[in-house]
Amino acid sequence: MSSELESVISLCRMVQSGRIEPFDIDFDYVMGVIRKHYPKIKNVKGFCLDAEALKELSNVLERQNQWIAHKSSTLYKDPFMLSQSLMRMDIGAIADAFLKSWHPVVEMEQISARTLAESLGYWGGLIPLDERWQGLEVAERETGTATMQEAYDLGLILTEGFAGLLEGFWRELGERAGVGGVIDYWDWIGADTYRDTVYRAYMTVFMVSHGYANIHHDRLTEETKIIHNPELRPDPEKPKVSLLMMVDYEEWRLWRQS
Amino acid sequence: MAAKLTKTERAYARKVKDAVQLLFFKHHRLPGVRGWELRKELGRDWRNVLDVLDKQIKPLDLRVTQAFDEPDIVEPTSAQLQDARYYITLRGTVDQKTAKTIGWRIDDIAGLAVSVAYLISKQGKAPRVDVERVLQEKLPGWRVKLNLDRYIQQGYLGADEQGVMYLDWRSRAEIDNKKLVDLVVGFGKKNREA
Repeated sequence: MSSELESVISLCRMVQSGRIEPFDIDFDYVMGVIRKHYPKIKNVKGFCLDAEALKELSNVLERQNQWIAHKSSTLYKDPFMLSQSLMRMDIGAIADAFLKSWHPVVEMEQISARTLAESLGYWGGLIPLDERWQGLEVAERETGTATMQEAYDLGLILTEGFAGLLEGFWRELGERAGVGGVIDYWDWIGADTYRDTVYRAYMTVFMVSHGYANIHHDRLTEETKIIHNPELRPDPEKPKVSLLMMVDYEEWRLWRQS
Repeated sequence: MAAKLTKTERAYARKVKDAVQLLFFKHHRLPGVRGWELRKELGRDWRNVLDVLDKQIKPLDLRVTQAFDEPDIVEPTSAQLQDARYYITLRGTVDQKTAKTIGWRIDDIAGLAVSVAYLISKQGKAPRVDVERVLQEKLPGWRVKLNLDRYIQQGYLGADEQGVMYLDWRSRAEIDNKKLVDLVVGFGKKNREA
């Protein structure tokens, strides 16, 4: 069934591409094929094929209409007669006929007076380079010293290695969610202060991307869960996953209130 | 009254100058200016301004040419006029000697003429293989492909992804299709009568 409709569609498309003339298509025959198959349609695919055949046939009708309009215009000359004439003419005669009907476009690509004036205006308003590229204003400061404790307090030096921190977090997750267990994202990252909450979210992202935990986001309920990985097997060779997690202040405040 | 007339004349002279800059200089990737662009720059009487310009450039053998995207438009509507492209073209024609000096070989001109005439006879659309076949009657095969690519690059012919060729913007702007077809068919008749 579909192959007959498909061949009718491809036949109609040949008119659109100019491979056959619009009146080479027998409208009654194509319509007959569409009518014959219509009662046998059982699924959506069949309906789509039927609709496509009708659309292509209506395009043929449009081309037939254009063909009649073209034929009735002064421009129409019998294609056969035209091609026979072209065959009879030598190259010189064809070129002569073309040159008698050819009026080449005149165009200039030079700068116009207007663009020149606009460019001059732009140049006048342009700030000199030494003003635009002024160097950064740097003030000289005296150097000082800091103790190790001060550096720890400023967060410039970590008290333990990053991997150690991650492992600590992973152990905490195992304790709170249970080994291989699941915990709500906000229940996991939420802390007494917003600063600590952001810190926990930051570490959680690394935990997930380094294979210490998994994350699951339900698009329907918009709930995010953190899943503990029972086996700690971070693989440095494995590509890391980048995660984008929002730690919205308002959301944290609501979480704290609840 | 005389002063008012002079003012109008001055305004027209200024608009004609603006029209010259719009039409002679290339502003977009393709030459020519759309009607709506002219209306925007020249005002509501843009068609009259073009008529004045057309008269003024006539002694230089130039003219303002209007080309529609649809070739069969006879009585254009206001919307179609604004959508049409306007160009400055040669009013007269060039002879073979001049055509050679501007870089056209006689074979190239004949090839373009045959392609355009064939496409006109096919209502402006035909598969590239058919156009190639017609050209191969008089031109060597390697030259046919080369020439067709050149006509496409110059904007005389276009080709879509399915390999269907059509008359592009330059043919609509520069070639008097009716005259070309009449001359070709007329040549055949003349020969038969002789």
